[in-house]
Amino acid sequence: MPSKPLILGFDTSAAYCAAALLSGENVIAKTCEDMKRGQAERLMPLLQGLLEKSGYVWQDLDAIGVGTGPGNFTGIRISVSAARGLALGLNIPAVGVTSFEAISHNQPSPHISVVSAPRDQIYAILPGIDAAQMDRSILDHQSSPVIFSPDPANFAINIADIARSRYASAPPPPAPYYLRTADAAPARDKAPTILENAPEL
Amino acid sequence: MTKKSTILGIESSCDDTAAAVVRWDMHGSDARSDARSDGSAEILSSVVQGQLELHHAYGGVVPEIAARAHAEKIDVVVKQALIEADLSLSDIDGIAVTSGPGLIGGVLSGVMCAKGIAAGANLPLVGVNHLAGHALTPRLTDQIPYPYLMLLVSGGHCQFLIVRGVDDFTRLGGTIDDAPGEAFDKTARLLGLAQPGGPSIENEAKSGDPTRFRFPRPLLNQPGCNLSFSGLKTALLRTRDQVIAEKSGLTRIDRADMCAGFQAAVVDVLSEKTARALALYLAENPAVRTLAVAGGVAANLAIRGGLESVSSGFDTNFVAPPLALCTDNAAMIAYAGLELFASGASDDMTLTARPRWPLDRISPHLTGSGKKGAKS
Repeated sequence: MPSKPLILGFDTSAAYCAAALLSGENVIAKTCEDMKRGQAERLMPLLQGLLEKSGYVWQDLDAIGVGTGPGNFTGIRISVSAARGLALGLNIPAVGVTSFEAISHNQPSPHISVVSAPRDQIYAILPGIDAAQMDRSILDHQSSPVIFSPDPANFAINIADIARSRYASAPPPPAPYYLRTADAAPARDKAPTILENAPEL
Repeated sequence: MTKKSTILGIESSCDDTAAAVVRWDMHGSDARSDARSDGSAEILSSVVQGQLELHHAYGGVVPEIAARAHAEKIDVVVKQALIEADLSLSDIDGIAVTSGPGLIGGVLSGVMCAKGIAAGANLPLVGVNHLAGHALTPRLTDQIPYPYLMLLVSGGHCQFLIVRGVDDFTRLGGTIDDAPGEAFDKTARLLGLAQPGGPSIENEAKSGDPTRFRFPRPLLNQPGCNLSFSGLKTALLRTRDQVIAEKSGLTRIDRADMCAGFQAAVVDVLSEKTARALALYLAENPAVRTLAVAGGVAANLAIRGGLESVSSGFDTNFVAPPLALCTDNAAMIAYAGLELFASGASDDMTLTARPRWPLDRISPHLTGSGKKGAKS
């Protein structure tokens, strides 16, 4: 295990592509581009650009850190799938880091980490309540300090730093962190009654 | 193109997460001069991880459920395909991935994973049209030369294509609403039969009387090669409800007769439209007489029988790949990738996932194709 592992962290769980490159504890480079769409097209060139301007190639990496949400489902899957592909292609570990972990990284406890969600909602873990999507107004009644996501580039730094602490201990493959089940309605078609005793001979 | 080329294919456009390795062996200059003297392809592995049980309660593929499953399976099937081919990534010469059309969440997972592997292993990448994968499958399985007429008939698609090259397709017609596979699935649900509907209905129809219920043959009264299956579905629902209203349920015989009547309507429509498409194709290519089918619906023996008899009526060679290569798989994507790479095509790291991507860029969109899915 290298003393100063090279770790690439990235996140597309909201309307941006963010990434950071760490050598050991040192931040080599960080970047963020805001975008509502186009993350799937932009992510890999952005990561490649970050490596290149720091004088590295993909094969120099020791591990990948990827944000797993909660957040935008599609955005999270873009990063998680890319991280899994990179891990396979480079034969290095990929570490999934939740948004809550990335927000709480190096923060004094107790505190409440909060991810903004659309329509005045938040994702949060509150004392005694499992992680869930809830109304922002619930934060008015908390006694602990509330910490929101840092700016995305620093968020990516935290993801990379957490990955650095975990990558050597055989982490599970990164998986999206969903707080809601998939929207799906059960089938409407009701099967007909089959009349068993009506031999029409 | 080197003498040997080994391509990893990735497919995740609907409800199958799939990966495969296909190898192309170039023949030497003294090679046999068969249909395709430039080489032949061999499937080294083909892994398909289905999602049938995940969608079971919903009576159809739920896009968000499919997307979730693909995101956590895509690299797993790739690893499995490499293991089964007894190869490592260093033995692979290129990566081909379905980049559309299809359910965008799944396509995105495949495309992003493929980009990650390509970047990490320093391999060339090419995006493949899922429909081209199906349409080129007869070249993988039966080494047929260009051109040929393709009927692509599956759960998501139904179209007639003249296939002239890896990126040269003309659509002669297609469904303006549902694909036949959807109609089979819906009919099975309406009659309380298991999914997927195709095999269930085919099995029931064996003991049924196809003449008892006369279902419509949509668009047969109109010229051209377009098809429609949505009205047939509705007609079946009405007939079912009528019978249920009379006797508070269906007997097994009622059900078998409905299946037989429904299947007969699909066979009639597909056979007649295939005859029209074949006539158009042969007018242009009288010397290369090949009709090929692909897609899961082509596994239905009644439909296949109808198509075979049309084909022999036109003195045309009929080619149907084995079922495992007719339904969604990644071997067809790897194979299409082989041909694309050989033609000089490749994509960079900006490769995009496209929910819609017609093979024929010239013909107008099919009316009504905006309903759902990627039928245009």
